[in-house]
Amino acid sequence: MDPVTLGVVALMGAVATIGGAAEDLESDIGSQSNPNSQVQLAPQMGHLHRMINKAASGEPVAYGVWCGVAGAIAYLVMSLGMMPLIAIAMGACVAAFVHAIYTVTSHMGRIVGQSQFEQPLFMDVLTQSLGPIVGHGFITSFCIVGISYLMTIPLNGTPLHVFPLPLLAMLWGIALGAIGSSTGDVHYGSESEYQKFEFGGGTPVAIQGDIVTKAPLGAKNSMDVVNFCAKFGGPLTGFCFGLVVFFSFWNTVVFGVYGGIIVGIIIVILLIIMDNYLEVFARNKYGPYEEE
Amino acid sequence: MDPITLILFIAIGGIMIGAGVHFIPVGGAPAAMSTATGVGTGTAMLAAGAGLTGLITAATMTGEPFYIIGIGGAIGAMIMMGITMLIANLIYIFGVGIVPAASKVPVDWITKRNQEAYKTPGTEGHGVPVTSFVSGLIGGLLGGFGGGLVYYGINTAVNESTFVTDPAISIGLAAILGVGVFFINSVIASYNIGGTIEGMHDPKFKRIGTGALACAIASIVVGIFCVILTGGF
Repeated sequence: MDPVTLGVVALMGAVATIGGAAEDLESDIGSQSNPNSQVQLAPQMGHLHRMINKAASGEPVAYGVWCGVAGAIAYLVMSLGMMPLIAIAMGACVAAFVHAIYTVTSHMGRIVGQSQFEQPLFMDVLTQSLGPIVGHGFITSFCIVGISYLMTIPLNGTPLHVFPLPLLAMLWGIALGAIGSSTGDVHYGSESEYQKFEFGGGTPVAIQGDIVTKAPLGAKNSMDVVNFCAKFGGPLTGFCFGLVVFFSFWNTVVFGVYGGIIVGIIIVILLIIMDNYLEVFARNKYGPYEEE
Repeated sequence: MDPITLILFIAIGGIMIGAGVHFIPVGGAPAAMSTATGVGTGTAMLAAGAGLTGLITAATMTGEPFYIIGIGGAIGAMIMMGITMLIANLIYIFGVGIVPAASKVPVDWITKRNQEAYKTPGTEGHGVPVTSFVSGLIGGLLGGFGGGLVYYGINTAVNESTFVTDPAISIGLAAILGVGVFFINSVIASYNIGGTIEGMHDPKFKRIGTGALACAIASIVVGIFCVILTGGF
């Protein structure tokens, strides 16, 4: 086991955790993932809202593009002799501009498409949400290109990975999008959008589209969503992505190729046991629903 | 590597990817609202996320025999699926306050626990129950192994040919073709599933034969293109 490589793997996990959390919060502000279906449905059900809806593409593909753009620019600037940290920041900056253009055009397109249901386009909502969306996107692109760069630098003569930097950034962007869409966005879709209904139940089909449009003070907007999700869904998404990145390399770095495979199988078995324990805990704690 | 062997690697890898997607429990948008069982994202997206993580871990084994690269990909994809489903369940249980419950079967296949009583009235289940969890891991295993086989085949073919001589370009070409084959097969499989699936206990799972056949045909066609792109024939 090489302590320097192990330290780099641990650093990658930590950076991925920050990037993962920022990715989920960005998608919560912009309703990028599956909960957008309810934001889209709400005006048709008579619930006009002040939410951003920029889900013109799936989250994994969108993040594949932004991280790929950031990685490609960083790779180009680095090949011109620029310092890696500055090059990665420049790449993430260009990706943030692309992200901003995408956000404005897709949000306007989606909201204008709902004008037949009297849904107005609130310019103040767009301008106040654009900064946080692009800012979180910048942090995510920076972190993803950063971990991809750490994988490609030769540590003790050999890099952790053979793929070129832009490709690694794109692949990790897609993986992160899939993770953020699968984990943190559930907190937005199931809880934040339906907070006015009693805690402790799924969303019945009959109430779909009846999303929360009022906040403790005034109308609810996308900043209230991120304020809510930053307390649970966002950090857990970051934790999930950090673990995935860490365990993708830790096994083989510490135990070698064959030992790493055996340790990987043990981790998978432990995950099944933990999931089973979690389900048993939830069933005992909450109990069954009583038929009315 | 001769063209027929390369096409075989891509076809077998493609069939494994296509079959693996059928195992992965995805509930799409309804699952994100806790209205349907499974992980709250699209079929192709989750499969691609897991498979591409597997492709990254498989590529760290470059230089090993094909079965080690395949197993490396399978382990990476299984770990990604497992952690994602576990964290998703944490959010369902502590963030939304619900118990994972399937709707397509009255009792869980593995744990034999009652599902109907724990399902919110008016929904088609929610969360990732144990059978769906294990099914998702099997999906990751097949998808990751298949992705690893495809990468191994193309990487070997590119390295052996004189078409591309720069190592950075040859690895990049192998990786991007591997990603392409993965996306093609996962999208075909998700069309076959038609939206959502709870895992291997779902009646839709019986469509796996048709899906695998379609993926085999598509993979053979893609394999021919890969032979041309790697400088074969």
